[in-house]
Amino acid sequence: MTDALRLVGGRVYDPANGLDGVVADVCVEGGRIVATVPDTARRIDVGGMVVMPGGVDIHSHVAGASVNAARRLLPEEHAADAEPAPALAPGEPRARSGSGGTVPTTFTTGYRYAGLGYTTVFDAAVAPLYARTSHAELDDTPIVDAGFYVLVGNDAYLWQLIRTGDRARAQHYVAWLLSAAGGYALKVVNPGGVEMWKRGHRGRIGLDDPLGSDSLTPRAILDTLCDAAEALRLPHATHIHCNDLGLAGNVATTLATMQALSGRRAHFTHIQFHAYAAAADGRRMSGARDLVEYINQHPEVSADVGQVMFGPATTLTADGVVEYLLYKSSGRKWVNSDIELETGCGIVPHAYRERQAVAALQWVVGLELFLLAADPWRVVLSTDHPNGGSFMAYPELMRLLMDRAYRDECLKRVNATLLQGSALADGLSREYTLNEIAIVTRAGPARLLGLKHKGQLGVGADADITVYMPNPDQSVMFATPRFVIKSGIVVVEEGQLRRAPSGRRLHVRPAHDRTIEAPLRSFFERHATVSFDNYPVGALRDDPVPTT
Amino acid sequence: MPTVDRVEEHVTCLGCGCACDDIDISIHAGRIVDAGRACALGAAWFGDGSAPDRSLVDGLDAGVDASLAAIAELLRRARHPLIFLAPGTSCEVQRLVVGLADLCRAALDNVSSSTVFHSLLASQEIGRATATLGEVRNRADTVVMWDVDAARYPRLAERYAIEPIGLDVPNGRHGRRVISVTVRANTWPGADHHVPVPPGDEVAAVEVLAALLTGTTPRTGEGPAWAVASGLADLLLQGRYVAVLSDAEPSARTAGPPPASGRGAALWRLSQALNDRTRGAVIALRAGGNRTGAESVMTAHAGYPMAVDFAGGAPRYRPHDGTASTWLSRGEVDAALVVGDASALGPDLLARISPAASAVIGPGATAGPLAKGRAAIDTARAGVHESGTALRLDEVPLPLRGFLSGPPSAVDLLAQLTALIR
Repeated sequence: MTDALRLVGGRVYDPANGLDGVVADVCVEGGRIVATVPDTARRIDVGGMVVMPGGVDIHSHVAGASVNAARRLLPEEHAADAEPAPALAPGEPRARSGSGGTVPTTFTTGYRYAGLGYTTVFDAAVAPLYARTSHAELDDTPIVDAGFYVLVGNDAYLWQLIRTGDRARAQHYVAWLLSAAGGYALKVVNPGGVEMWKRGHRGRIGLDDPLGSDSLTPRAILDTLCDAAEALRLPHATHIHCNDLGLAGNVATTLATMQALSGRRAHFTHIQFHAYAAAADGRRMSGARDLVEYINQHPEVSADVGQVMFGPATTLTADGVVEYLLYKSSGRKWVNSDIELETGCGIVPHAYRERQAVAALQWVVGLELFLLAADPWRVVLSTDHPNGGSFMAYPELMRLLMDRAYRDECLKRVNATLLQGSALADGLSREYTLNEIAIVTRAGPARLLGLKHKGQLGVGADADITVYMPNPDQSVMFATPRFVIKSGIVVVEEGQLRRAPSGRRLHVRPAHDRTIEAPLRSFFERHATVSFDNYPVGALRDDPVPTT
Repeated sequence: MPTVDRVEEHVTCLGCGCACDDIDISIHAGRIVDAGRACALGAAWFGDGSAPDRSLVDGLDAGVDASLAAIAELLRRARHPLIFLAPGTSCEVQRLVVGLADLCRAALDNVSSSTVFHSLLASQEIGRATATLGEVRNRADTVVMWDVDAARYPRLAERYAIEPIGLDVPNGRHGRRVISVTVRANTWPGADHHVPVPPGDEVAAVEVLAALLTGTTPRTGEGPAWAVASGLADLLLQGRYVAVLSDAEPSARTAGPPPASGRGAALWRLSQALNDRTRGAVIALRAGGNRTGAESVMTAHAGYPMAVDFAGGAPRYRPHDGTASTWLSRGEVDAALVVGDASALGPDLLARISPAASAVIGPGATAGPLAKGRAAIDTARAGVHESGTALRLDEVPLPLRGFLSGPPSAVDLLAQLTALIR
């Protein structure tokens, strides 16, 4: 099914190539976009339909030990959303059944992403110790090309290197770590705070607070990792989950972090959770204006929003103290897992409700960030699935961005207690265009990820394409693509999932100075419980994405 | 020392759930002659690397293809088959087995439903605060061996919990307070504190302890449990990081009454309570053979760690509606395929499997308890003859390497079987 194919007469939204609703054919052969195909090629009439590159999710949690711990915690969600195997086309291998909910099973995750027109997904937080599990789960997550970010920055070995001022060795160490884990990018969560929670610290940590040593601070960790990503020419900037997630006044921390890294490429993730000002009485209020203003003025900064959507969610993060505090305040069930020498993990099921003041504020803050952002290429779409809500809520989010009347109706229903001074409450008239939606869901994330062949439909690009039937209700349009093509294979036809090929693994393998291995091996022998030689995942099926 | 042809280093052992990956295997003439650093359980698990390599149909030698065909026929003809993931399988095999169960609309279970049933359900209802073994090694200054028999986890002390010098425990054993709580097991040798708890008071003692740690009022009034708990609470609150290691499968032992069903829930509540005024975790110790892998893979594919039924075309969780053993006894399933080491199954389960409607694929299958069934096929043992992955009891994945030639690959056989049924 990778035969040549011509999509005829669709309205093409391909922002990377400057196409904004231009009626054009899109040709596919050998899994790539080509200029033309022979007349004998299969033709699919998509006249009147909207053609976009396949969706690219820059920040999700879909594969690995922590995700699986969340799955295990949610039997009631799974029982309410059993998913029979989709009926694929005759001759295709039988598909797999599974369970849905906010944390679906692996096969179901792949089918559902593809069913929304997403063809590339990144898991944003994998402890390298558990990398093998993530690869196995991604192997069982069909259709989408996928990779993951490696958790670093709260790890004992990096801390040793920073304490001793050995930044050069730190750079080679993270290169080794990325290669060993088969990861795609560096991810830091609550720099310093994850390890300090494991030491019993429950309070805030400032950027310049020493972490047991004057030379070791969150700022030093961020400096080291951002410099390493640059020096190693990684395709994606260091992916940063700032300190103080969820706390009133944390927008100051987020801004200080951005300023600390000023001039250097950095990606700030789920910034909605990091954009709260503090009112005089200590309660949260929107800090979106200040944060967006900074982002608008600093082209080196990129972000994904981490929109909260009303409904069930599962909070799942390496930021263990956040989950502890949520557990204590909510009384819901709680998982904490401390992961040796590297990181942590916390999980609490959650629900965002319109009538809850904090949830309403979070919903509003996320929308403000989208609607105030001047450059959609740098402020892209995520719900931090499943933290802010499921990826299945993306179509609804797209409607909220595109349809002011609908958004204002929704706004009337939410609890307004914390919305004083909110830009959205004051009235934001912006409506995203289809072109802007294509940017925040495809072209932008692909560019931020350094994936030159994704998020665009130019000749030579991966033939990952989604075709939607326009609908006045954009959430219907985006939830039910008519066609989805992945690597040239028509996986969704006439709205039905018909094929489920394996996706590719997206990973990098930056070179490192081999002389770092002897002391690293020695560290493993003294402190690790996994042998140094058993730690790397070894060769992967797909070639690494180039780093130069 | 016998002659050694070669040594395989950093080999992972599945003798117990600790899955030590530092074993040096010496090989001579195609046989294991030494398992360096392995404990007695590990040495027994590796053996000499020899393994039966037969395939049977109705107890008689037959080719692998004929045996696979017989199993395929058994599954195809069954109204509702049971597929049982026994210990001794790699995660790669487990992934194929869940797919096979989905394809056959089978009931699917593993040993967790008979060994850690209540604890697993409790962890789903309450959550848990846990940690990897390396956290214990590097951070725990207070280690509670909660009814752990040292003989079941021989290297736990040396490698993970008590002796090692840790990053935050630079004085190793001298920097740790070790508390042995004894309910049924022998007391932990060399502990600093020995706390006997009558089996009937165990759950109450844990519940009171959790309450005392969080400063809430215990539901249980004064009594033996209270005395135990208050003494323990004082000790635990002096710790920076408290690791409670508890044998999650104590019923595997013959001595003593089985633990109360509320034990698992009480321990998980304790795990959470450890984190209000100090930090801590409960680590559930598991026996060998990649049991954790079976739970993990079933969860990843089906959404549930045990007791799954694909009969309706999608996974359904049935822990409260019986597990493999009761499905067999009620006649809900009319055929059984065991994948893995059938000798690790409990006698109750084995007694309920009808030879005429059963088959087994796994290491030592033709020499095991289900060899007389419809078909039996010996497979490679993952980690000796076949490569793959296993999960340690804390779900840390470790590589298994095949370093000896042996029976056919279990992965290949399961893939062939799936293709036959398709």
